[in-house]
Amino acid sequence: MNPALERRLRRHRSRVVVRAWEYRQRRHARGAWFRLRRVLTDAAAAYVVSPADTRQLIDEGCCPELVGQEFDPPKVIVFAPAERVARIAHARTVPVRLGGELLVAEHLVLVPFVAREPVDPRTSRSG
Amino acid sequence: MSVGFRERLLATIRAARPVLEVPDVLIVGSEVPNLLEPAAAATLVVSQDLDVGVPIERHAAVKRRLADLAEFQPSADEPSVWLPREPDLLEVNFLGIDASQAPAEAYVLDDDELPLLVFGALSLLSPGAEIELAGTRVRLPRSAGLLLEKLVTDRTGEKGERDLLVALGVLMTATPADLDEVEAMFLGLSPELRHVVCSNLTILSLLEGRPGMPDPGPRRGDVAALLRRLERGAQVEP
Repeated sequence: MNPALERRLRRHRSRVVVRAWEYRQRRHARGAWFRLRRVLTDAAAAYVVSPADTRQLIDEGCCPELVGQEFDPPKVIVFAPAERVARIAHARTVPVRLGGELLVAEHLVLVPFVAREPVDPRTSRSG
Repeated sequence: MSVGFRERLLATIRAARPVLEVPDVLIVGSEVPNLLEPAAAATLVVSQDLDVGVPIERHAAVKRRLADLAEFQPSADEPSVWLPREPDLLEVNFLGIDASQAPAEAYVLDDDELPLLVFGALSLLSPGAEIELAGTRVRLPRSAGLLLEKLVTDRTGEKGERDLLVALGVLMTATPADLDEVEAMFLGLSPELRHVVCSNLTILSLLEGRPGMPDPGPRRGDVAALLRRLERGAQVEP
């Protein structure tokens, strides 16, 4: 067999093994990154806010995404409609991607692409 | 850049005509979205090669045409890659397609003249539109299969991100009927591969734009909508 093709085949098979392992890990700590990405995918925009702002939104009925608690330090991540976010005085927009600004933020408000259905935190898919 | 690239792409297709016109041979990979754009505008530049999918039943027929590929020569390192003799053409990369193969598998079809790496994910491809370009009839895969093939294939590092941009290119040219087909095919995948598709869509959604390549930013809503639709259809749990 051609050595180059053999190397590519070996690399492919190694990745398949790793992928299967990652799939088995999906409900555990390793899956936290997927769960975070999944939440962010639904966000049209992201804002860094203060602890008081997220507390207020939760009091108003916004559910914190459970995946935020899987990180250390924990993140408080809530979805809120754009018109509600517009009333937060010091909300600072950050790019919706796994960049530094978003990853260091501990209090995030996300604006959804489509209105989200009310979520029971006990059955949230991010849990 | 894209005008120059389009010329190179079309010149490569013209030069590769002897193998591209073998029945059932498909153009696969990153150039398909470019060719699906109106008038093959080729603005969705992700890589600089032309992937040619060879059904294993057509391997012998393609080999018989290799002698006519006067403007290319096989790479000494990897004979499934044929290098252009002139810089105004793209590399041609031959890949094997085995419709009976499981998507996660791969094997080498060994051959002294044209060995092929046969990726199982390519079994998701089926023949789609036949179009005429540069005086050559080329067959493209159906968009749904190509999109899923790009999303189930393992993605690592820079190459992986560029490949996801190919999926974005396919999504940008997909019709509602194509998305119906994507959903139907997605339901037929194993749970692990469905998870891989969903995971890759989240990565695609969060990719940073790159100069000269399709920008995921303006299409994030489409990616999110597709992901929600697939999850709903299959009741996928992350």
